[in-house]
Amino acid sequence: MTLVDWIILLLRVLLPALIMPVFVIPLTWLERRGAAFIQDRPGPNRVGPLGLGQAIADMVKMFTKEAVMPASADRMLFLLAPAVAVFAALSTFAIVPYASTLEVGGKTIPLIGADLSIAITSLSVYAIVLAGWASNDKFALMGGIRSSAQIISYELAMTTAAAGVVLAASSFRLPEIIAMQQGTWLGIIPRWNVFPQLLGFLVFFIAAFAETNRLPFDLPEAEPELVAGYHTEYSAMRFGAFQMAEYVNVMVASAVTTTLYFGGWSIPGFHPHGVVGAILSLLIFAAKTFFFVSVFIWVRWTLPRFRYDQLMKIGWKALLPLALLNLLWIAGLSAWRLSR
Amino acid sequence: MSAARIVFDAFALVAILFAGLMVVGKDPIKSVLALVVSFFALAATYVMVLSPFIAGLQVIVYAGAILVLFLFVIMLLNVGREKPDGSRRPIQTVLGSLSVVVFATLLLGMLRSSGTSLPPQREAVGKELLPDPAAIARLLFSDYLLHFEAVSVLLLAALVGAFVLARREEAP
Repeated sequence: MTLVDWIILLLRVLLPALIMPVFVIPLTWLERRGAAFIQDRPGPNRVGPLGLGQAIADMVKMFTKEAVMPASADRMLFLLAPAVAVFAALSTFAIVPYASTLEVGGKTIPLIGADLSIAITSLSVYAIVLAGWASNDKFALMGGIRSSAQIISYELAMTTAAAGVVLAASSFRLPEIIAMQQGTWLGIIPRWNVFPQLLGFLVFFIAAFAETNRLPFDLPEAEPELVAGYHTEYSAMRFGAFQMAEYVNVMVASAVTTTLYFGGWSIPGFHPHGVVGAILSLLIFAAKTFFFVSVFIWVRWTLPRFRYDQLMKIGWKALLPLALLNLLWIAGLSAWRLSR
Repeated sequence: MSAARIVFDAFALVAILFAGLMVVGKDPIKSVLALVVSFFALAATYVMVLSPFIAGLQVIVYAGAILVLFLFVIMLLNVGREKPDGSRRPIQTVLGSLSVVVFATLLLGMLRSSGTSLPPQREAVGKELLPDPAAIARLLFSDYLLHFEAVSVLLLAALVGAFVLARREEAP
């Protein structure tokens, strides 16, 4: 590998990680204005046009506030937890192919961070558990315990649902999963996984809400019972780090849903080539991802929170059997295709 | 020494170091966290010996699920720091030393028979020689079918056993 190759590799891996946090700023604005719209009130509208400056004002506040640490907290782990949260969220994005390939100067550059096999890791759970335990606070600890139980339950259904996609594509690699979703059925229906695997998609998307700790599954930080759950003791930018990780996780979950079930950066009849093609495919990918991010926000302000026993019941008695059913259906379909 | 070798050795060192920390640590939560780091380093070494599928499983199953379960149980039971009770039995020392000797013999035997070199890198091996999930599945459902089924029955028995032990008798 030449020096240019190394620089390209470095940029491929680092650029998404560096750009993602920037999107968090408009996303917090979108969330608060969206919440206000759904609840029929104006929302933050004082700072700048449409209240757009509010997100920046909030950020300045977070950076300048005093960061307090409880005297009885475990110092090292308390400081480590927010860092782990941000790192886990940003590194997961590295596996998503966010555009088609870019051809510059005789080089074909795949626009994906790391060309890894699909490993939907829920490492963010360690951040929550660490924060809950290191705070030495009963509410935070309860939040951490809930989070670990919740993630184990929903990770199972989520992975089983994703296994359906892997089985249909006979590949663990996301670029190949996108490649098999190009083209159409009967000339009009896109060959997206969502059509044969509607059940799998629903299970995956519902489980994604639980994995990202969003309403109606945000039991680890349920404010009526647990004050603020696992981040009760966190203030200033340490709290901001958890906040940021949550929004990045929402974007990652939306991006992975787009990739697995909605053809990623491709739409039927679109064959990207050259720089323009790469940029167009990036925009398509961004538009699809944005759609699911909006659904995340919409659902948060529409549905009330589940009770803890309901959460467990949904995970084990509804989502997991449905995911298995989806897997069985896809296995049957693949076997039928092979036998023809 | 190639770059791949240096990366492999670095991750292997981290894996062993944190596994040691896990054993020595007095705080159960910190022991589990050390094990998490160790498992991740282990997954990285799998990638370096051209087994990305095994590495993925290692991350999803062990680092992602099983250790979270460990953390859950430890936090739920609120296990405190381990206290030295000073009642070490002589048999423990004897058995401990014995297992060290057996392990060292096995390790030396393995190193002498297979050497310490890494498999050739991706460019040198053809794509068809890379271990892929289909090959693993084929082995699992043909040559090792009996073992596979035996393990699943064993796990089921453990599950039923745990359920029976944990279930409280209903008061009449």
